[in-house]
Amino acid sequence: MVSLSDVRGRFNEPRGVLRRLGFAAALLIGVAFYVACLNIADISLAKLWAGLPRLAGWAVRAWPPDFSEWPVLLHRAAETVAMATVGVSLGAFIAAPVCLLAARNTTPSVWLYHPARWVLNGLRGIDSFVFALIFVAAVGLGPFAGVLGIAVHSAGSIAKLWSEAIETAEAGPIEAVTMSGAGRLKVFLFALLPDVMPQLASSLLYLWEFNVRSSTVLGIVGAGGIGQELKNSMDLLQFDRLFAILLVILAMVTVIDGLSAMLRRRLL
Amino acid sequence: MTAPAALRITGVSKRYGEVQALSGASLTLRAGEFVAVLGPSGSGKSTLFRCITRLTEPDCGEIFVGAHTLHNAQGAELARRRRDIGVVFQQFNLIRRRTALENVLAGRLGNVPWWRVATGMFCERDMALAMDALDAVGLSAQRHQRADTLSGGQQQRVAVARALAQESHVLLADEPVASLDPETAASVLSLMQTLARSRGLAVLCTLHQPQYAKAYADRVMQMREGRLS
Repeated sequence: MVSLSDVRGRFNEPRGVLRRLGFAAALLIGVAFYVACLNIADISLAKLWAGLPRLAGWAVRAWPPDFSEWPVLLHRAAETVAMATVGVSLGAFIAAPVCLLAARNTTPSVWLYHPARWVLNGLRGIDSFVFALIFVAAVGLGPFAGVLGIAVHSAGSIAKLWSEAIETAEAGPIEAVTMSGAGRLKVFLFALLPDVMPQLASSLLYLWEFNVRSSTVLGIVGAGGIGQELKNSMDLLQFDRLFAILLVILAMVTVIDGLSAMLRRRLL
Repeated sequence: MTAPAALRITGVSKRYGEVQALSGASLTLRAGEFVAVLGPSGSGKSTLFRCITRLTEPDCGEIFVGAHTLHNAQGAELARRRRDIGVVFQQFNLIRRRTALENVLAGRLGNVPWWRVATGMFCERDMALAMDALDAVGLSAQRHQRADTLSGGQQQRVAVARALAQESHVLLADEPVASLDPETAASVLSLMQTLARSRGLAVLCTLHQPQYAKAYADRVMQMREGRLS
């Protein structure tokens, strides 16, 4: 049995006191950090309150959605899907050789493994939105800049997912095939690739679906797609048209997500 | 003068940190001979297997396969020497998503140009060798079945066929029946025994059950705490 005086005794032990002080200090720092964030983020309920009538007014004006320009909207939606599709496939081409360097079990040397990982983290760390901004300056307005932005950013994500899939490949069959006297390339083609193929295809589909969703915003920097229409309507305060565009985006994303999920279920 | 031994190792040792997993193992294996290495789990049998195949690099020792040295071979030469050793693992180690026939064809990879591997267009001779090997283990009918749909015993037979298709003179098996039920185990061991007799294959097989060693091996060696005797 632990008596109350025991507990109290432990409570008053120097180490116990120190630990409690440490916890209190950590809590204080956490709260201070959060308060600082609230200040820096310029949070103001008054502003939100003042803005509410404006939002409500827009919501009223957004009904009914204006689909009168539906051929343009459909064309722009198709542009978004096309950008994601071409961008991700281009990214896959870049990713294919790099992921082999960035997987522990296929890399020819640690001197390539770590640099490859750094490059991939760099590509993933910078959003395709930022890359698109740069490419718009380089190749001009339009979906091509968006494709390049998606490709460069996705290459990093695809190579990371692929190298992780390759690292999960069973070592046994690879050793068995190695003992037949096959070199690295043949082992990769015959034993490793068929083993991890479903995971590779699945992650590619996931990135395609993800990019259809995320590339709707690329139009805002002039890199093509339905985001461009979104920005135009917002600038001209055409809220009924804006609402129609949001509905088109929602429909497009839902269809692509469903399609990708269905295909991935079949793969695994 | 006698022909060189199919496999000869001398003084092969391997140390993992504080543990001497294998100390100075030596053995000679002749064509047509079925030798069992018997020992409890953790005695160093798998280390012996991995060191002979150089899947694990031994600390020291010499390994000869036929008239060639394996212990100092590197790169392409190492791959060429490995062709002369067919291997069978406890966990079968088949490529799960490939068919039985494709898995047997894996035994041919050392002799096949890479574009044939990429396209799966194997030449007549390789196909014939693989079919013969499948036939020898009694699985011709299952040739188009995916490896992961076969039973354990069937998978291990495919693994033996893969080693056969390799046309090696040595067959190395690491606990080939440890994952199988007694009946299947007996059939796989008797298959390996038959192959030693009929094809002059030199078979080295690690086991932990004395009754199997006694029933199938021509010679039994003991492995205890890394020492082979």
